[in-house]
Amino acid sequence: MTDLLTANFADHWVLDPVAGLAGVADVSLVAGQIVSVTWRDGEAAARACWAAGANPGPGDPTVALLPALIDLHAHFRQPGANASEEVESGTRAAAHGGYGTVALMPNTEPAADNVETLQAAIAGERHSVRLLPIAAATVGRAGTQVSDVAALVKAGAVAISDDGSPIADRAIFRAALLAAAAAGIPLIEHCEDPTLTAGGEAADGLVASRLGLRPWPAAGELRAVESAIAVLRDVVVTAPTARLHLTHLSTAAALAVVRGAQGEGLPLTCDVTPHHIALTDGWIAGDSRWAWEVPVDDEFLVPTTAAFDSNLRVCPPLRTMIDAFACREALRNGTALAIGTDHAPHSREKKEVEFGLAANGIAGIETCLSVALSAHRAGELSLATIVAALTTGPARLLAITTTSVTPGAVASFVQVDLAASWRPSRATLLGRSINTPLLGRQLRGVVQLTVLEGRLAYQRPRAAFCATMVP
Amino acid sequence: MVTQAVSVGERSRRHLLDVAGLDWRSLQKLLASAGEMQQLLDSPAGGSDALRGVGVTTLFYEPSTRTRISFEAAAAALGARVTTFSVATSSVGKGESLIDTVRTLGALRSQVIVLRHERAGAPWLAARHFGGSIVNAGDGWHAHPTQALLDLSVLSRHLGDQNGSLAGRRIAIVGDLLHSRVVRSNLHTLTTAGATVVLTGPASLTTGFAELAASFRNTPGSVRLVGSIDEALSDADAVMALRIQRERLTAGELNSLEAYRAAWGLTESRLAALAPRALVLHPGPMNEGVEIDPDVADGPRSLVLEQVRAGIPMRMAVLQQVVAEARA
Repeated sequence: MTDLLTANFADHWVLDPVAGLAGVADVSLVAGQIVSVTWRDGEAAARACWAAGANPGPGDPTVALLPALIDLHAHFRQPGANASEEVESGTRAAAHGGYGTVALMPNTEPAADNVETLQAAIAGERHSVRLLPIAAATVGRAGTQVSDVAALVKAGAVAISDDGSPIADRAIFRAALLAAAAAGIPLIEHCEDPTLTAGGEAADGLVASRLGLRPWPAAGELRAVESAIAVLRDVVVTAPTARLHLTHLSTAAALAVVRGAQGEGLPLTCDVTPHHIALTDGWIAGDSRWAWEVPVDDEFLVPTTAAFDSNLRVCPPLRTMIDAFACREALRNGTALAIGTDHAPHSREKKEVEFGLAANGIAGIETCLSVALSAHRAGELSLATIVAALTTGPARLLAITTTSVTPGAVASFVQVDLAASWRPSRATLLGRSINTPLLGRQLRGVVQLTVLEGRLAYQRPRAAFCATMVP
Repeated sequence: MVTQAVSVGERSRRHLLDVAGLDWRSLQKLLASAGEMQQLLDSPAGGSDALRGVGVTTLFYEPSTRTRISFEAAAAALGARVTTFSVATSSVGKGESLIDTVRTLGALRSQVIVLRHERAGAPWLAARHFGGSIVNAGDGWHAHPTQALLDLSVLSRHLGDQNGSLAGRRIAIVGDLLHSRVVRSNLHTLTTAGATVVLTGPASLTTGFAELAASFRNTPGSVRLVGSIDEALSDADAVMALRIQRERLTAGELNSLEAYRAAWGLTESRLAALAPRALVLHPGPMNEGVEIDPDVADGPRSLVLEQVRAGIPMRMAVLQQVVAEARA
């Protein structure tokens, strides 16, 4: 373990989403603790800057300090598939991605439906990253019997979920929602109607039609969202503490329904993934433009030799630029409170196969911040929106505190060079599996270092240390 | 804004993965080459030794008769070393992956793999892991490039102008579009050749094809999806019936074969009434009495056997081209 850090970070673009402050500031650490944050133009200006989106202007520093990020949805595959990822490699990858807190989904082998597995899922070297286990909502994630939620919460579970599959039986779903309410935690639902999506390889639409891939209809998500909301509406009458969170929503239609339900005052939240805000199904045909670069009246592009990259096989599937726009709009207008990575590492054996036979999932915890910053650079998302969706938003769902860049806090922050770029590769990624369609692509925003619990958890190799070390 | 992507045809000619992206000049070149191959087949020598020493392996993960034999006959007529890889008796049954298999074939000195696979995109995966040439002999619902090329050669011979163009010609394609790699590839070749393509079939088996048809708007030809066979056949110069793929149908997609024949089958009476001049094609194998009646399939307007015959010279042209590109 490294020493507690004593250093000065002068002239950084600093974001404090808890206090709602942003601007140029000097940050000083003594023995791992932030002793001062001095805003160059004063706090009032910093408050106004945050409210205006926290975007640096020309001439402002391009190296930013953000609170260490919080991921509400990742898979570290422990126990059961440690060859794909485990706590040691996953937290190393997380620290590289700028994360200080990661909530882990329970679809391990066996499922984390019991205290022993729940604790095994977070055991091991964790590079100062805080791990929050999510317990299986039902026994064996089989959807037939609700887990012992009270015992699991006592053992540290911050939520329950059957992620990877929906709780298809609506009576069991209702019972799980009630059990979570009684335990004071949210139920996180993977919204998919399997009767509509079975066998689906790509989103229904022109790309799937052209490429002959089995369609996964948008109705497969919408139907599940509508039905979950209908149950929630009933449940809150008797259990007002119930909280429902819909994870990795991907369609404009489903997000519109969620927004409507939130307008009714239902205790309903959702998140979107980095790949659904930035990629489209056109990537499967080898068209690797960012979603915001694709025009509405786009022509279909003839598949290139890069087509059918199975790293793009993901559930829910990638969709059109319109759905990706809706995902970004949901972040802008608050319908979605977080960007969750759905970091889903898979071994080569599971991914380097025919597209339709490949395991679903993208390893995304190391690239999420850069993808979001690419959207920022294109003028799609403000820095304030991105930072809130990666810190205070997920913290709200998980009922934890965001350790912000603020005097008195034990330092937990990430230093990012917003102007620099990097390319994901086997050499630059630290996770055990590198199943990402972004391999080789130039990404903006380089994490220089991640400080967690007052200590260096990640430092970019060969990078000049962008702070003055105080002896 | 339209960003011009580099097509497979342009970027990687050592493979034939798809006909999407082949322009009219490339198609004409293949048609001309197939014509020369036919002369070679008709000559006393019956072939050439242009591919002598070249290892060509047919790797078929799905059952096939005419496509595999046609490729093997084509490779043999050019003097290649032909190997049939039998998936049923190979290590594939022991879980050997597609990547391992093509690498093994490469080590065994196959320069060309003719790949048939039940999953869309499998030839793209193989091409990324194989040093030689991959020829797509059908991938799932996606593409069947050499079928589309041989269909084009037959249609061009009967209906084309002096350049082989199908401009002004109306080609109807009827049946199970959803599961058909033949129709997906034919849409590219026929529209590039200038034809007006009219698609029809039961709604459950044409899902997505309205949008797909519209996406061909910037081609020399055009594509339309219509709701009735009468509308599709009306004034057609040629009609292609697609096989009802019983092995790919899922619940609810088709109720009964009898009802299908009544609504969508190519019968002589239907053709006589709506498209009296129309030629008839079928990619085979046929379900006679379902999508096509026996008297139509064997009748004077049928080009079905001509399609089968056209397969050998077209596949010779394809094999010769990919090998030439790999050597270049």
